[in-house]
Amino acid sequence: MRHAAAATLLALAGSALLGVALQATPAGAAAAERARTHEVVIQGLLYGPETLTVRPGDVVVWINKDPFPHTVTAAGVFDSGSIAAGKSWRFTAKKPGTHSYLCTLHTTMKGTLRVE
Amino acid sequence: MKHFIITVAASSLALLAGHAVAQAPSDAQIASIVVTANQVDIDAGKLAESKGSNAEVKAFGKQMVTDHSGVNKQAVALVTKLKVTPEDNATSQSLKSGGADNVKNLEKLSGAAFDKAYVDHEVAYHQQVLDAIDKTLIPSAQNAELKSLLVTVRPAFVAHLEHAKHLQATLAKKS
Repeated sequence: MRHAAAATLLALAGSALLGVALQATPAGAAAAERARTHEVVIQGLLYGPETLTVRPGDVVVWINKDPFPHTVTAAGVFDSGSIAAGKSWRFTAKKPGTHSYLCTLHTTMKGTLRVE
Repeated sequence: MKHFIITVAASSLALLAGHAVAQAPSDAQIASIVVTANQVDIDAGKLAESKGSNAEVKAFGKQMVTDHSGVNKQAVALVTKLKVTPEDNATSQSLKSGGADNVKNLEKLSGAAFDKAYVDHEVAYHQQVLDAIDKTLIPSAQNAELKSLLVTVRPAFVAHLEHAKHLQATLAKKS
């Protein structure tokens, strides 16, 4: 009896959860589409991660941990200008595509931002 | 004269490389070498910022002042934290006198001749410092944080060398 009651409760709980899940689908999709914030750390003249994949509307923050300025520049798509030591730059991804970028001050530094 | 200056700079760093075989520099000596090497390029950069005739050369000089000042600020903060007192040594003295000779030579020049001499020296200087970082400074550094600082700033010297070589090629095309 106790088992049957427990099973019923579980089934009820299960359908309740299923119900919530079903009802939540549109809201859940909206939550998944909500913009995320990603970080790219600049240190030792490297962008980490070197390649980042985001969705349109996501925010990317580049944090410069080197003791001198850097830039995050994808010609015609985005350009941070000089990011001083210890400072950061935020960019909201819009245009889908694979954007190669570099530091115009140290052109050995290269990164890729994928917006899909 | 220019070749003489570059040779002097190269030999001061060759002396540094030679030291690795004879006697590895201590952390206090490495600290002094790092600070002096940066200072020498800051001084030359300041001169290029004011005396350079080509806009790219001036911008490069300005960037050398900014980047090497940043590295020195970080180096000084680290040695202060580690309670290491930079110790003057044959290599740092040689770098200092090589830098002073370079500045003295550059002060006599102007226009395209200045730009060329400055950029040529920057190529030689960054190449030699890079060799010293790889062959002597990183292998000799005892303190892990000092070693890590050298490893972290090494790519800046690579990028500066590439940039200086690019400028050298641009100036050669113009002349």
